[in-house]
Amino acid sequence: MGTAQTQAAPPESPRAVANKSERQHLLKAIRMALSIQSPAVRSNTQTFNRNRYRATRLLPDYDALKDHARQIKARSIANLPQLIAQLEKTVRGRGGHVLLAAGAEEACQYVHDVCVRHGAKLVVKGKSITTEEIRLNHVLEAAGMEVAESDLAEFILQVADEQPSHIIAPAIHYSRERITALFKRKFQTDLPLDTGEELTKFAREILRGKFLHADIGITGANLVAADTGTLMLVESEGNIRMTSLLPPVHIAVVGVEKIISRRQDMAPFVELLAASGTGQPLTSYTSFLSPPLDDPPFALPGKTRQAREFHLVLIDNGRLRMRDDSVFRETLYCIRCSACLNSCANFQTVGGHAFGGETYSGGIGGSWEAGTGKLENARFSELCTGCSRCVNQCPVRIDIPWLNENLRNRLNGAAETFLPSGILTTITGASENDQSAPVSKLFFGNYHWFAEWGTRFAPFSNALARWRPARRAMERWLGLDRRRTLPPFPKRTLVSAVNAESLPRTEGALARAVLFADVFTNYGLVERGLSTWRLLRELGVDVAVSESVPEGRAALSQGLLRTAAGYAQRAASLLDHYLDQDRDVVVIEPSSLAMFRRDALHLLDNPEQFERLRSRCFEPVEYIAKLIEKSGRRPEEFFDLGRSPVGKRVFYHSHCQQKTIGCAAPTEALLRAIGFDVVTSSVECCGMAGSFGYKKDFYELSMAVGEDLFEQVRKAEEDGGPRTLVASGTSCTEQFHAGMKRQVFHPVELLAAIVRPAGK
Amino acid sequence: MPFRQVAMSGLIDAFEANARGAAATVDRIAGSPAAVLAAVEGALKDSPAVVLGPGEFLPSEIMNALVELPGLVREPSDEMLSRADAGISSAFAGIASSGSVCVAMGPPLAAAASLLMPLHIVLLCADRIVERPRNLFTPTCLGGEGFRRNLVLITGPSATADMGPLVRGVHGPHQLRIFVLE
Repeated sequence: MGTAQTQAAPPESPRAVANKSERQHLLKAIRMALSIQSPAVRSNTQTFNRNRYRATRLLPDYDALKDHARQIKARSIANLPQLIAQLEKTVRGRGGHVLLAAGAEEACQYVHDVCVRHGAKLVVKGKSITTEEIRLNHVLEAAGMEVAESDLAEFILQVADEQPSHIIAPAIHYSRERITALFKRKFQTDLPLDTGEELTKFAREILRGKFLHADIGITGANLVAADTGTLMLVESEGNIRMTSLLPPVHIAVVGVEKIISRRQDMAPFVELLAASGTGQPLTSYTSFLSPPLDDPPFALPGKTRQAREFHLVLIDNGRLRMRDDSVFRETLYCIRCSACLNSCANFQTVGGHAFGGETYSGGIGGSWEAGTGKLENARFSELCTGCSRCVNQCPVRIDIPWLNENLRNRLNGAAETFLPSGILTTITGASENDQSAPVSKLFFGNYHWFAEWGTRFAPFSNALARWRPARRAMERWLGLDRRRTLPPFPKRTLVSAVNAESLPRTEGALARAVLFADVFTNYGLVERGLSTWRLLRELGVDVAVSESVPEGRAALSQGLLRTAAGYAQRAASLLDHYLDQDRDVVVIEPSSLAMFRRDALHLLDNPEQFERLRSRCFEPVEYIAKLIEKSGRRPEEFFDLGRSPVGKRVFYHSHCQQKTIGCAAPTEALLRAIGFDVVTSSVECCGMAGSFGYKKDFYELSMAVGEDLFEQVRKAEEDGGPRTLVASGTSCTEQFHAGMKRQVFHPVELLAAIVRPAGK
Repeated sequence: MPFRQVAMSGLIDAFEANARGAAATVDRIAGSPAAVLAAVEGALKDSPAVVLGPGEFLPSEIMNALVELPGLVREPSDEMLSRADAGISSAFAGIASSGSVCVAMGPPLAAAASLLMPLHIVLLCADRIVERPRNLFTPTCLGGEGFRRNLVLITGPSATADMGPLVRGVHGPHQLRIFVLE
């Protein structure tokens, strides 16, 4: 991103902007990441992401494994106090030592004391993000010990003095070229360091000596079994094995949430962790050790051979408080696999130095930072757009967007109420509970109110939206970036357009449905609404159109939880009335559909109401595909590709939430079955993600994310000219407009143009 | 990645394909002492100093034959371990779905022979190959030993992607050579 701003200001060092309790740090970190780190992060995370899809597809019982893993974690966290007591007893019974440390200071002091007692001069460490959390290295180094990070990524970070930017690949933001430059500068060496092999050999030779001479080895653990004291240790380099097996003293520093009740319960995690993390069937080494081991430790000449000693340092540091929090308890299920980082479009673009705090990063990172530190440290979780692509990737099924929406809600609530916020709350009908939220969040979360009034005053409102002084004011007060073109308000809404058509009732209807007039279609892309309505009628469906009400998705994404719940309840009650008439619900905007199929689970009081709504709501093409299937006829009998005004070559981009709720595939399949030549995007999200890309703070990031999508379009057009752009989401459509300046169609618009008249 | 879904038959084929996919070499050989000795000798040709780990999962006649290996360091000092060229382990189990070998830690030299040398040779009896990692956690599998022992699942040589491209051979062995004894 070569914006004037990034060129003018020298980039911050990652450490200087690690703590993002100050909003300015977040913005500086995004600029720093976009200008320096983005190419390496993009390439590395996207490789992990592709490999994960491939590895999980090869697990024949992937879904069952996830259910099983979640069950084990849920049970373990429920019984955590008993498991801690049992584990302490087990480890002591085996001759080891245990400390349950309430906080970082106590844990560091204990490790320090063990090291001092052994006269330790050299401590070697395996990769452990928990020791980053408690800042262990500082304490040991301050006491005069040498601490050697032996994981190559941690080694790079130690040389560079930077914090991790990823949960399992902490130096993921470094390209090979930048590592070469760093090593040349710091080690002042003339050795050739121009390949991965040369760099690895260089670091290996330094570290081999550390392993052999270390007095103490410190590791983390991926899981610990309370019944046997077994540690599960997952790695690829062999450094954790060296660290845990060679020195006479092994200290494992482990968060209490890693405890599970039985060693045999590690079974589902072995494959899940490797597949979800690096995307391998298994990583090079998965160890199951119940220390202290029997065989004597390593001792080079000149060292006395000691008996093995083992210390397990269990870290609370806020975890037991998280356990008592009905929302954030789920964070403790996390097995730190990084699937939520790698599947996140924003993370892929800036990495964990922007989308992360001092220790933890990515979608799940905000909850960890808030849980183990201060709420304000989670401010970077603003970069979670709620696109939900991580939801199906989490091996323990944590609803990560929901955690981030709650973090946002608490951060909103922690602020003082500001008069304009109070006014906005009152006029838009938002919940008073949310009135301490920033004006910008109240604006985006209650967009329906502005859309309704904007439409009433169109075209005056549209002229205002193009008037520069007005845009400057909106940027200043609402955070709405002036570089974004605002979708124009229509002359008439979907609801009034349908009412104006006054067609006769469909006789002998094949099915009965209601088209939910979502805010974005009703007050924006009316054409796709009308196309859907006409197409459904043409296919023999008796279609009604609902009143246009917000369903709460926009409010939810801004963390306005009470407001979102109010809107969701109102929309659900409205739709109940149609469900009672035995009508299915068709929803055009995928994020609105996601509210009814997924998010409302958290917001509606009555689970039965949610379940009924969830099971009867459909994306338009998904619904049409079902109707065709029910008819027993072939798609070509309904549609005639020859009538297509845009030819047969299309590029289809499905909406992020549409993918998550499993209704992207029907569109792809139907378009292909009719004969369209379809190339689909493989990006997780277009970068607009609802209101995210409209925000001044995130415009550059949003466009940088979009670049992957635009590039895929350009690639797809290399084989024979332009393709018609097709997208199901409102915000994806706007992002295409912004990035490619081309017309974009909804799949229903293509279908409506080629549907054969009934009976022909 | 030639990961294959495993039917109970063809466990060895699946093991072989998946271990190769993880950049190990796999040779299927006869389980006779002479055949094993010849195969290991062939693999060791550039390795003057060899360390033999415990042979608890091999027939004793094979261990007796291996003691005759040229270059074998008997009762190695730790200093010797730190600079030997190759280590030999007997595998407690093989995992077909991932092509992993499972080596038991604990007895003297078990850790060193599987970790410190650039070349790691693993002898795996074909009847110790199980379908998936989870099988090791059932009390009936391989006498229930997997349920209790200190173990490491080894899948290919040590590797890293931290220095940019994928590099095989980091702190642990750079080469993993597996002989399946049929």
